[in-house]
Amino acid sequence: MSVEVQLETRIVTGNEALALGALRAGVRVVTGYPGTPSSGVLESLVSMNLPDRHVEWSTNEKVAFEVAAGAAWAGQRALCTMKMSGLNVAYDSVISIAYSGCTGGLVIYVADDPGVSAGMAEQDSRGFAIMSDLPMLEPASVAETYRLIQVAFDLSERAETPVFVRLVTSIANAHAPVEVEEPIPPPEREALLARDIARYTKAGATICMAQHRDLIARLQRAGQAIREMGLNELHLSPPKSMNNGAMNNEQGLGIVASGVTAAYLEEGFEIAAQFGFKRDTVSILRVVATNPFPAAEVRTLLRHCSTVLVLEELEPYLEKNIIVEAHQLGFQGRIVGKLDGPFSRIGEYGVSQVVQGVGQALGLPVPADLFRGYSTAEQLAAQRPITVCAGCPHRGTFLALNQAIRRLKLKKDEVMVTGDIGCTILGMNPPFDTVWNEVAMGASLGLAQGYVYAGTKTPVIATIGDSTFFHAGLPALVNAVQHQVPLTLVVMDNGWTGMTGMQVNPGTDEAFQPAGNRRVDIARLIPALGVEQFFVIDPLNLDESASVIQNALTLPGVKVVLARQECAIQAQRRGLRAGQVRVVPENCNLCKLCITRTGCPAITIGEESITIDPDLCYGCGLCAQVCNREAIRRGLEQ
Amino acid sequence: MINESMNNEQLANGEWRMANGEPRDRPHVSRFTFHASRNTDYELRITNYELRITNYDVYLVGVGGQGVLTIGDVLMEAALQQDIPASFYPTKGMAQRGGFVKAQLRLGRQPVGPNVPEQGADLVIAMEVSEALKAVRFVKPGGDFLLFGHVWPPTAVMLGKASYPTLEQVLEQVQEAGGRRHYLAAENLPLYEGQPVPANIFVLGAAVGHSGLGQVLDPSVVAQVVQTRWKKGVERNLFAFQAGLSQMANGK
Repeated sequence: MSVEVQLETRIVTGNEALALGALRAGVRVVTGYPGTPSSGVLESLVSMNLPDRHVEWSTNEKVAFEVAAGAAWAGQRALCTMKMSGLNVAYDSVISIAYSGCTGGLVIYVADDPGVSAGMAEQDSRGFAIMSDLPMLEPASVAETYRLIQVAFDLSERAETPVFVRLVTSIANAHAPVEVEEPIPPPEREALLARDIARYTKAGATICMAQHRDLIARLQRAGQAIREMGLNELHLSPPKSMNNGAMNNEQGLGIVASGVTAAYLEEGFEIAAQFGFKRDTVSILRVVATNPFPAAEVRTLLRHCSTVLVLEELEPYLEKNIIVEAHQLGFQGRIVGKLDGPFSRIGEYGVSQVVQGVGQALGLPVPADLFRGYSTAEQLAAQRPITVCAGCPHRGTFLALNQAIRRLKLKKDEVMVTGDIGCTILGMNPPFDTVWNEVAMGASLGLAQGYVYAGTKTPVIATIGDSTFFHAGLPALVNAVQHQVPLTLVVMDNGWTGMTGMQVNPGTDEAFQPAGNRRVDIARLIPALGVEQFFVIDPLNLDESASVIQNALTLPGVKVVLARQECAIQAQRRGLRAGQVRVVPENCNLCKLCITRTGCPAITIGEESITIDPDLCYGCGLCAQVCNREAIRRGLEQ
Repeated sequence: MINESMNNEQLANGEWRMANGEPRDRPHVSRFTFHASRNTDYELRITNYELRITNYDVYLVGVGGQGVLTIGDVLMEAALQQDIPASFYPTKGMAQRGGFVKAQLRLGRQPVGPNVPEQGADLVIAMEVSEALKAVRFVKPGGDFLLFGHVWPPTAVMLGKASYPTLEQVLEQVQEAGGRRHYLAAENLPLYEGQPVPANIFVLGAAVGHSGLGQVLDPSVVAQVVQTRWKKGVERNLFAFQAGLSQMANGK
């Protein structure tokens, strides 16, 4: 019997492939918090009309994971997406829910960023899978992502355990053709309400240790299922020579390649061939399921080969386990990787690591500079620091903060302004140089309290964006209120989660929320926490904003200033402008104050006067407010 | 078109010249016409056109807002239509506009890793003079390096507080790295109905017309993608593409 399969080849990103694969797997609930490079999964699902599924941007990753886990405990298939930093936030619940396992398929998608294209830690989230005894699958390509996310749901239900799928940036954001099948509606399952204290609570040592035992058993079951599914691919080289007897330890090189590194093998082999590398003498273990450690396959490889090359980005997790297996087997050969070999724990792996690796392992004459391009060129390149967009309301807040500090007769380097994650961190760059640090979601508020207790004599200011405030700023503000810490918090509320590509957050205008959602208004929330000194400013009104902040800095206790104005990019997409500005050339003496103070990318230096790019300009008018010659005017007249 | 053997005066005038050095595979008389345009039919003459299925890597750099990633998108779509295995990996900075962007397009490989190794790109397309420097280490010795001479000065440069490389410096670095230099002046963009054509589509045409890319991707297929990708400005885009392509082919 033949079954007609509807296939369509589409160019999709790794993230989109993961989303489409989850739909194919019948996922019912998808949650996440934006974070580059993981955001694309939910982004693509949010843009689709999916009446039979629930898709949401949650308040933070911990909440997102708990929503997904609840659905999976009730028997449905659920997916939760996050970047590596988000996994740190969610992990408290992850390890606890790992102890309980799941009924419906529960998949955690985490995106790591070796090479740091998104400005965060080079964290290797495989460590979290190992620590929580949860299986982890790592696709080597966009197309494999589509397939493996479906496998992950099956594996999760088969072994009754949450399963990690880990992508790195170069797969999450790469585009490639994928054969996509029709989505499958979520299976018709009634919500399962299973009362089982021994499984779903941590009531006492007996229960917890029993759960720990069950957890380890589930990982073993998952390992068994992974072997049965043949997820880790072992290709042994043909025996070299049968006639001179001994076959052991004489069969050449074995390569263990995990995740994306496997995608570079064949390309590397082609290049290495010119240095004497022979493709048919190599054995390859492609590790797709990195947890549990594929011990059986590794042992087979060690018995077959005289040297093993380990290709894994970031931490040497596989390599260390291979060394343990080798020790137990009495393996005498070399294991080339990070611990004994050429590789770094920093940055991405590519063709270079394959060629240099086999070169090292086999003693081939591969020149050290084979992939070292002519790099002196980059030193000549102009620095291009990123700044806020033309029309960004944060520009007004940074200018007002600086002005308030000046008016208090203080210097910028005397006033601690803690920073937070998101577009608001751009206050660290010129021309503002306002913000001092960037740590983690919500950290600005805790850090500020520490600076106060450390004895800082000048006012301490914390800055945070709206989405970051909801995500992890709230508990820290509660702490400040409870302990009555004298500090000033500036919440920069532009209504969107901007840096990650304009996602909806709890504070987003209700008109842009999914139907039936309700906006949580920061202006109502903060006074309700007991903040008595609460001010709302329009950051595009520079003088007034500076006065309000200046006043707040002189008051006792917890002060909160809410700088509220919508993200200019989002407003412009709806055809809105804050106003209009025009240059009065006869008044302009090219003092460049407008550029040096605002750094607005819409302003350039013309022949006789500055010029403003009308396509870029949002009409925020900040340039007109810093100009002291009336050379830039606001208004509608042309 | 400027090629290795030409001097800086010629570089600066921005004219397109035929490579007068090594012989090159040239595209072939597959005459084709764009029928979709309402008023005009654009004709392209391509000589000695022969498609080669091969591995071909393109490294693109520029500044956010120049449409660098769109070039890669169009080429990716063309590859799909020709059934050529392909991977396209764009990397944007955090800035919406005005930040460094790069993209890597890898044609022909299966399996394929998304990153092009240093000294591995058959073709570099650089849309901004200073950012071109960040691509220099990726050009394959003997590979094509197409520089569109747009200058987008960062604020500090505009204020005279930071330096910006000269065009000559950049081209010298490309030469040091062994890249075959092709320079397109930004100020001489062809006009369509009195307005300069979209630079990225023009550069796309030039890249297809004057590098090995045109032997991997069929220029008519790329043109079709350009034609169908946007609802608005179809004729303008086709004109821009053809202008890039034919300036090369005509050796003007």
